[in-house]
Amino acid sequence: MSLSSAVITFPGSNCDRDAQTYLEALTSQDTHKVWHKDVSLPKVDLLIIPGGFSFGDYLRSGAMASKSPIINDVLKHADRGGYIIGICNGFQILTEIGLLDGALNRNINLKFLAKNCFIKKNHDNHFNKKILPDQCLSIPVAHNEGSYYNSEEGLKSLEDNQQISFLYCNENGNTTDQSNLNGSLNHIAGITNKKKNVLGLMPHPERAFQDFHTSQDGQLILESLLG
Amino acid sequence: MNTELILQHGLTLDEYEVINNYMQRELTMEELGIFSAMWNEHCCYKTSKKWLKKLPTSNDIVIQGPGENAGIIDIQDDDAIAFKIESHNHPSYIEPFNGSATGVGGILRDIFTMGARPIATLNSIRFGDLSNFKTKYLVNGVVKGIGHYGNCIGIPNIGGECEFDHSYDYNNLVNAMAIGHVKKDSIFYSEPKTIGGLIVYIGSKTGKDGIHGASMASDVFSEDDEDSKRPSVQVGDPFMEKLLMEGCLELMDAKLIESMQDMGAAGITSSSVEMASKGNLGVEINLDKIPLREPLTPYEILLSESQERMLAVILEENNEKVKNILKKWEIDYEVIGVVTDTKKVIFKSQDKIVVDLPVDIIVDSAPEYDRPFNLPLKHKVQKYDFNQLNIETCLNNLLTNINYSHKAWVYDQYDSTVMGDTIFEPGSSSGIVKVHKTNKAIGATTDCNPLYIRINPEQGMAHTVVESYRNLVSSNIKPMAITNNLNFASPLDQNIMGELVLSIHGLKETAKYFDTPIVSGNVSLYNQTNDEPIKPTPVIGCVGFNENYRSVIPTHFQNDGDQIFMIGKPLDLAESPYFLQDQLGLSNINEFNDLAKCDFALEKKHQDFLFQMFEKSMIKSCNDISRGGPIHSLITMMTSKLGFHIQHSDELSLFSEYLAGYIMIIDQDNSESIVKEAQAGGVDLMHLGSVKTDAIEINEFQPKFNSVYEVYKNNFSDKIKN
Repeated sequence: MSLSSAVITFPGSNCDRDAQTYLEALTSQDTHKVWHKDVSLPKVDLLIIPGGFSFGDYLRSGAMASKSPIINDVLKHADRGGYIIGICNGFQILTEIGLLDGALNRNINLKFLAKNCFIKKNHDNHFNKKILPDQCLSIPVAHNEGSYYNSEEGLKSLEDNQQISFLYCNENGNTTDQSNLNGSLNHIAGITNKKKNVLGLMPHPERAFQDFHTSQDGQLILESLLG
Repeated sequence: MNTELILQHGLTLDEYEVINNYMQRELTMEELGIFSAMWNEHCCYKTSKKWLKKLPTSNDIVIQGPGENAGIIDIQDDDAIAFKIESHNHPSYIEPFNGSATGVGGILRDIFTMGARPIATLNSIRFGDLSNFKTKYLVNGVVKGIGHYGNCIGIPNIGGECEFDHSYDYNNLVNAMAIGHVKKDSIFYSEPKTIGGLIVYIGSKTGKDGIHGASMASDVFSEDDEDSKRPSVQVGDPFMEKLLMEGCLELMDAKLIESMQDMGAAGITSSSVEMASKGNLGVEINLDKIPLREPLTPYEILLSESQERMLAVILEENNEKVKNILKKWEIDYEVIGVVTDTKKVIFKSQDKIVVDLPVDIIVDSAPEYDRPFNLPLKHKVQKYDFNQLNIETCLNNLLTNINYSHKAWVYDQYDSTVMGDTIFEPGSSSGIVKVHKTNKAIGATTDCNPLYIRINPEQGMAHTVVESYRNLVSSNIKPMAITNNLNFASPLDQNIMGELVLSIHGLKETAKYFDTPIVSGNVSLYNQTNDEPIKPTPVIGCVGFNENYRSVIPTHFQNDGDQIFMIGKPLDLAESPYFLQDQLGLSNINEFNDLAKCDFALEKKHQDFLFQMFEKSMIKSCNDISRGGPIHSLITMMTSKLGFHIQHSDELSLFSEYLAGYIMIIDQDNSESIVKEAQAGGVDLMHLGSVKTDAIEINEFQPKFNSVYEVYKNNFSDKIKN
């Protein structure tokens, strides 16, 4: 199917161009660029909220972006069942605006973490249906606050509603203390909302799709949506 | 004017005499401040200028040599690359996090001031001995600061170097390099052209931070300086810089700017003087218009080094458009003055003229010294006893020495894949990025061998430069041009001055031979505390090019069974300085033999051979040989699965340094062909062995793969943590 898309830029977003490159390469159509002060989104199938340091991560990652004018229409888009992928800072913003549950805390070692990691799918959804159950995806992470946190009930609810989309693992697909590189609860790398049309993901699939990238596994997420 | 005041401003009485004779009147305090800012080493290169002039700075690919915010080279079609390296040594010792962060901020501004979008950063950082109580604190702070700034603004870090040596105990070095991409017809310069053009201030408000920063950077530390000088360290805000970068690039894209200059060292003083001087024009600025964070006197405004600020000249008719774009990015913007034809720099405040100086006294009369220097003493020929060493002790010494360890602890804190164009991240022979939406690959490396340069400044420099070429060549990147950062101790010491002069000479000779002009650079002197000088550390940033990114060559082993070949000429162990230092424990410089002469012809021959073999797709991966010899090169090529099996008749020589040395990994099927190619080309090729899964085998010595690999991988973080 064809997939129309848009990327929102907040002041301090720095993966907006990368997301656009990723979308345009894999969907073979132009991606709309949206400024955070715009009040409406173009009619699109998929919206990416990109990584970066929106508003410098001041106050709390994603907190100030959640007050931008465009957010109103982002909520409507989600409500209508439109797809949203929030990557890294985008994931943080999605938790701040309440589309996703939980929060992203400082990495367990209190250091910025930039390296290639492995993830595998957990619960099935539109974003990972092209990924095999035992398949490990090699995708870079780059974040300071990526340690997923939720209350016990919250975690149980995610589990009960099959919202845990991706887990950190090692190259053999095992979830170990070492593979859980930022100290996320239950090894969580990505979750969806209950309706499963909104995905938040700490790793950067848009940095793993071209022939010169360390891996091309990031393609699988968009290809899952493309059907 | 009273003598004490003059000396406090870092001017000598002779220098003041020159000013006084010219002006024939008392200077105002603000004017004295301007001379203090403009006539220090950091801004006017008074010690090094005489020697830097001798460097080759042009050839047919150089679009802009030294003298602008960054150097620019042509990379075919309408693409060009801007790059520069700069030091933030003194601030990073006093306040490591902010000192290093603002070092990155400053060098990025130098790049986008010219209209180039930054596409990569590198760095070169040096610290004292790990046993020194402050070292771990400094390493943590500096790495965090570099990471914080670059990660936030979103420019990938693609490489660098990190060395520990006791000579940096009280003066750590932080050199940051940035590379940007610009279309040839969209380069911006600092020279204003229109009399009556509006001078506009763009960016953060001005505060008290960094007042006298540039003159601090031109002074020797004493022990009690650490606390008292901290207010001279600037505080960085990478979020503001990101906005400033996007705002400025959008203005330049819309051709709304006539000229631009960043407010770096010596703030508005240096940027406005620079502009007036470049345009051979004058400037008149109203200091009351400057956006302030807190109440400041005119003197403080002139000398503030608050970060994330730009000065630009625009035409009046574009004022509204400029204002609207900057409003979108929520950046402060103010018209603060005009370009005049007076060839004077005039600053006003409260309707009074506080500065009225001719540009030529500030710039053209700036001091230039021919400081006396000593040539280094000849080294006596010494013999050493290597009997206590064997392959096992040598390997152990190497693996437990932090200078040879895997540096992931450092670069895992730097985002190296943001922008999506990174081909080789840190940890490869050179860092490589693709130029967005083209097939072009840009490779870069930073290098220095301070021990070599202390032993023999001229030859040591030559070895450093050719090593930077080897890093690029190993990745099939052709070295194109150089930026340099000359870090030295006090040039008032004639021995240090000798090191400065001779190493520049070595750089000149090497760069000329290989036609890699020096297009930008920075000088950092007085890196000493009391009488503890740093080792001479002229860092080379070398940038190279390959028009087809698909043909770049990886550093690591690829497949089990691949054949390992080596080219290069081993130095005698008694002439391998790092071997003597790291294996025998030599430290006193008089204990070393002289350094072997760099062999330009052999380097060139091996470069040519490798490029031919790359062209024929003979080589699967490649690495150069440097400190730690072939063994260290092989260790850095290992993966979590692949080790090596090699045979060599002289085991210790596997740890020695090499001339023109490279390790090449060849598919078994191509082994015979490469031997023939080498014979035909007159290249001495040595077959060492093969890539082997889960094994390290050096003749009969066969340590456990995991024990070697794990120590290599973890030694750095283990040492820093404990």
